Amino acid sequence: MYAAELVGVTKRFGPVLANDGIDLAVARGEVHAVVGENGAGKSTLMSILYGLHRPDAGEVRRDGNRIVLRSPTDAIRHGLGMVHQRFRLFPGLTVAENIVIGAEPVRNGRLDRAAANEAVAALSERYGLRADPSALVGGLPVGVRQRVEILRALYRDAEVLILDEPTAVLTPGETDRLFEVLRTVAATGVSILLVTHKLSEVLAVGDRVTVLRQGRVTGRFTASETDADELVNAMIGRSLTPPVPRRARPPVGDPLLEVRDLTVRDADGVARLSEVSFAVRPGEIVGLAGVAGSGQRELVDSVTGLRGAVPGVFLAGTPVLAGRDPRVAYVPEDRHGRATAPEMSVAENVLMGAQRDLASRWTLPRARVRARARDLVDRFSISAASVDTPIGALSGGNAQKAVLARELTRPSTVVVAEEPTQGVDVGVRERVHALLRTARDEGAAILLQSSELSELRDLADRILVLYEGRVIAEFPGDATETELGRAMTGATG
Amino acid sequence: MSAPALTRRVIASAPVVALVGALGLTTLVMLVVGVDPTLAYPALVRGAVLDGNLEYTIAAFVPTLGMALAFALPLRAGEFNLGGDGQLAMGGVTAAALALLVPLPPGVAVVLPLAAGAVAGGLVAVVAAPLSTRLGIPAIVSTLLISAPAVSLASYLVRFPLAEPNTGIAQTPPLPEAAHLPALGGSGYLTIGLPLIAVLTALWLYADGRTVLGYEIRATGQNREFARYGGVKVDRVAALALAGGGAFAGLAGALIVLGPPHRFVDGALTAPGYTFTAVAAVLLASARPVVVPLTVALLTFLQVGGQGMEREAGVPSQLTQIVQGLIIVIVAVLATLRARRPR
Repeated sequence: MYAAELVGVTKRFGPVLANDGIDLAVARGEVHAVVGENGAGKSTLMSILYGLHRPDAGEVRRDGNRIVLRSPTDAIRHGLGMVHQRFRLFPGLTVAENIVIGAEPVRNGRLDRAAANEAVAALSERYGLRADPSALVGGLPVGVRQRVEILRALYRDAEVLILDEPTAVLTPGETDRLFEVLRTVAATGVSILLVTHKLSEVLAVGDRVTVLRQGRVTGRFTASETDADELVNAMIGRSLTPPVPRRARPPVGDPLLEVRDLTVRDADGVARLSEVSFAVRPGEIVGLAGVAGSGQRELVDSVTGLRGAVPGVFLAGTPVLAGRDPRVAYVPEDRHGRATAPEMSVAENVLMGAQRDLASRWTLPRARVRARARDLVDRFSISAASVDTPIGALSGGNAQKAVLARELTRPSTVVVAEEPTQGVDVGVRERVHALLRTARDEGAAILLQSSELSELRDLADRILVLYEGRVIAEFPGDATETELGRAMTGATG
Repeated sequence: MSAPALTRRVIASAPVVALVGALGLTTLVMLVVGVDPTLAYPALVRGAVLDGNLEYTIAAFVPTLGMALAFALPLRAGEFNLGGDGQLAMGGVTAAALALLVPLPPGVAVVLPLAAGAVAGGLVAVVAAPLSTRLGIPAIVSTLLISAPAVSLASYLVRFPLAEPNTGIAQTPPLPEAAHLPALGGSGYLTIGLPLIAVLTALWLYADGRTVLGYEIRATGQNREFARYGGVKVDRVAALALAGGGAFAGLAGALIVLGPPHRFVDGALTAPGYTFTAVAAVLLASARPVVVPLTVALLTFLQVGGQGMEREAGVPSQLTQIVQGLIIVIVAVLATLRARRPR
């Protein structure tokens, strides 16, 4: 008997068949990975299991019995728990308060804080998830916040725990700790459904793997008996092309981007960047590594002009312009917050920055805007129902391709890419990398910030490591992950 | 899209649901307080469009549409302009002052006060922009707070410096003949204000959908960080949108004053509640600018008809305010539900 089962689940959204007769069974105490490209139907399937969507056909079973889930409340009552990609925590409340919310121990009509702290402490102890019950969530690192989310689900007696892309927000070290936690929790008999697109994680922590493609199951594997190639085949229906060999010719010419002694202070006068200097030449990709919050955001905002005319940043020898320097193409990390306006159409999203070039005097002919968008959609193989579709309705990978289409067709010589493949599947990742390589070969100077070391190693000619606002090390593109990882924690030499 | 599908979409759209819901609830209220809906509704229709009332409804439609644009234009840039009353009153008093104090040749005597009213309204509104960008005070708060003193200032000007001498009534003397809005019909209620506001509405719709500025305003309203990242000067765009909204309000004030009874009567601009009828109309149109003139027409109809209903059926005209309030509540509920629905 399985802890949780989805049997013949079909779900249709308008013309899109998101799930097509999917069977998925999770045994007690198993870590079951669900992988697939963006748009493969993973999120829909998990939403059905968590009561956010009702399936059009098929059913959900717990311990062999059919259950009907009308809402997440039903799901919780049936022992299902979910840790969302974006945490749903109250930063102003303590760890214990966040965990007991919805099922608080009450004494005399008031929250029994002592009992809550005690219950949470016992829970942390039992599952080996260390977290101080009285600490404020707002002050905790991301990895610990995630642990609070997991504890909250366990507090509500979850026997099946769904984690949606849990490592997207974690550093490599935090990821390792999360995997230890997952193993410990699974060992107590809790079943874990791990939704991810990172194959290394699947192989590292999964017991079994279900692969989805275009709403169907295309493979079921035992993690210990499969490898990345086999999974990729099932995920995208073909093998990945082998990595392009690094170009031998060293980049030549005057730097297109030069940063000299750049120091940036925040509103409180604290230095977020200190005396940063580097240069990027035409045809060169310089990687930027570092744990989150080491000054990446400030550096990128300085280079793009979004921080104003910061002294010390030069584009082709002249100072950066305030606002948004048009000489820089910029692919931001925050896809819905900065890179797109989710409710505007694809056409109007890819228009941004080119609106004045497309206009005749004041007017902006719609036909011209849409024709240009259709051209970009074709050239960058973005799958969208139409260019009038809101960009927020596209899958993450397609939205990202649209952002790249817009930025890489700007008349810019410098490209700044922040986490360009975050939250996209392997197929799109391959495509994004090819686009960046093409831009490089055409003579662009590229600054690539990524928290995925393998991505930096695949693409960058040189890798700079930021630590507490300083460039503390520079490596050639083929540096090992160990070397880079050490430098990221501040260990020099 | 097939015709039945389109019909279904229209029926399920927020404005229709809100309107039907609001009318349904209002009917319920009528029944509860003992009013016969079969008497009240015909009285409402008569009050709005029959018995020669249509002209009066159109006369009320013009400033309401102006105030709707005053709210809708900044809203496109993500700014809530709730200070319509102040902008309206300052626009009206400026127009009145100019017409009374400066002798102007025919033609100019109409155009200049209208323009000055628009500028005055724009200036009152644009104060909110630096307060928001420099000090972080949201426009929704500052416009509302600035409105009350602006209304009071206009009231002071009408009661003292501009007051009609020796009458003791809080109003200006009648404006010179040259400053009267040319009438379109016999009664004088129908003036060139109607075609003027219609043309301006069309211009706004065109600018919103098909110009660079319109695009940048919408991008700013949809996601300010996205617009800033794209190189749009968002602070300037937001200020421009607020000023434009204020200008529409100021113009609406000037149109009222230059129309019958051709003077600024204290309270006559703000008492009919054009500003918040307009806010309700814009919210009812729920982010579809083309629909705004229709929703304005509808709410003006209810507003004016409500007065007829009060006269004939003895139903307090406050009932139409209940309809408006319910519309806003239902639109808000629908918007929240839509935002919550997972994709």
